Amino acid sequence: MILVATTGCGFGTSCPTHRPPKKRCHSSYYKVVLKLNQSNFKAQVSSVEIHHRVRGCECFDLYKELIPYQEAWSWQKSIVRKRQALTGRDEDCHDNIIILQHPPVYTLGTGSSEEYLNFDLKNAPYNIYKTERGGEVTFHGPGQLVMYPILNLRYHKMDLHWYLRALEEVVIRVLSSTFSIKASRLDGLTGVWVGNQKLAAIGIRASQWITYHGLALNVTTDLTPFQHIVPCGIRDRQVGSIEGLLGESGPSSEWGAENTSHNLIDVTHDSLLKEFSEVFQLTLNHKFVSCSDFLKEEPLIPQ
Amino acid sequence: MASRLWASRAASYLRLSVSYRGFASVVKDLKYADTHEWVKVEGTSATIGITDHAQDHLGDVVYVELPEIGASVTQGNSFGAVESVKATSDVNSPISGKVVEVNEELSNSPGLVNASPYENGWVIKVEMSNTGEVDSLMDSDRYSKFCEEEDAAH
Repeated sequence: MILVATTGCGFGTSCPTHRPPKKRCHSSYYKVVLKLNQSNFKAQVSSVEIHHRVRGCECFDLYKELIPYQEAWSWQKSIVRKRQALTGRDEDCHDNIIILQHPPVYTLGTGSSEEYLNFDLKNAPYNIYKTERGGEVTFHGPGQLVMYPILNLRYHKMDLHWYLRALEEVVIRVLSSTFSIKASRLDGLTGVWVGNQKLAAIGIRASQWITYHGLALNVTTDLTPFQHIVPCGIRDRQVGSIEGLLGESGPSSEWGAENTSHNLIDVTHDSLLKEFSEVFQLTLNHKFVSCSDFLKEEPLIPQ
Repeated sequence: MASRLWASRAASYLRLSVSYRGFASVVKDLKYADTHEWVKVEGTSATIGITDHAQDHLGDVVYVELPEIGASVTQGNSFGAVESVKATSDVNSPISGKVVEVNEELSNSPGLVNASPYENGWVIKVEMSNTGEVDSLMDSDRYSKFCEEEDAAH
């Protein structure tokens, strides 16, 4: 059963395998809190402890934008490089997450097989990228919310299985709390399923315990492009979307006549960030920077 | 499986305690990095792979990304990757040098990493540039303890 994320093995003293990174980042926060408590004369030890367990996460929220895959990919890698350098100096004080949509694109993982493409690579209906994430081929497109958490698992749990289950948990909670859709995991088939339909695909990369790539949840996605591939290499199942499932539940559903695609995306986005923040015990700090602003500092790496 | 039998004999010889995942074997004459790679040093030649502990935690390896022959590797830096269950993670080199051979078998049979992590599942062979780097690695006893502590912490 998945564990709700704690911030890994307690800070400071009890974790021999974690190098001392936490000290530099959290000691300053810790001092500030102590100072305030002293000036208020009543230092509550328990409140100080609670403060220092919550890690911050910078959120680049571009959920209404269609960001070209290559740009978002370069952006992630540039963030990962920065984070690795910070980790090396014990200064990796917060995580990152990017949430966005992509224009239509296919992506492959490290071990992806071309047998799961129903087209010739040279004649692909959309751009196709071979990436360094795990998993087989998938499709990204408008109406699908994509989340790229860039987490340092040293601050969570240094266990990739746990991380995958936690990502699934985020989506399962979104579907349940916001849409009353009962979703589940299928053993051995990473992703989030409703019956025979996969609603969210997951594929990640961990580099020195810093994760990137992430998950893609079909909200109002046009699912036709999935027909040109064997999604995630799984032949006998289907792909679904939230809109599709809500449509199936008939006019009595509260999401019936009044919902618009726009509204579904907004509501799903809000819920995704809320559940992500809870599952991973992260405080989200919204950063208003566009992908191109970020990439201006770093040249695009040719793939 | 023969390797499991061998591993259990090695475990009792080394007096390894059993973690909740079952034990992971550790081989005595190898050196270990804290990112769970092992290295077998013979003069200036080194063979590198991932440990039983690592393959056990990863689960079934479905793909191994190998470097080119002639590529440089640096201690602590990634030289390749392994994929299991939708997660691909770096494999780091315990020592620096030049890749002289890669285990081509892993392209067809990535599962060798799981079945035989210290023998047939070796990943690369390197001509070392600095044999002194081996001193910063863990021996088998320290590595066993490291794994125990890491598992206990989680």
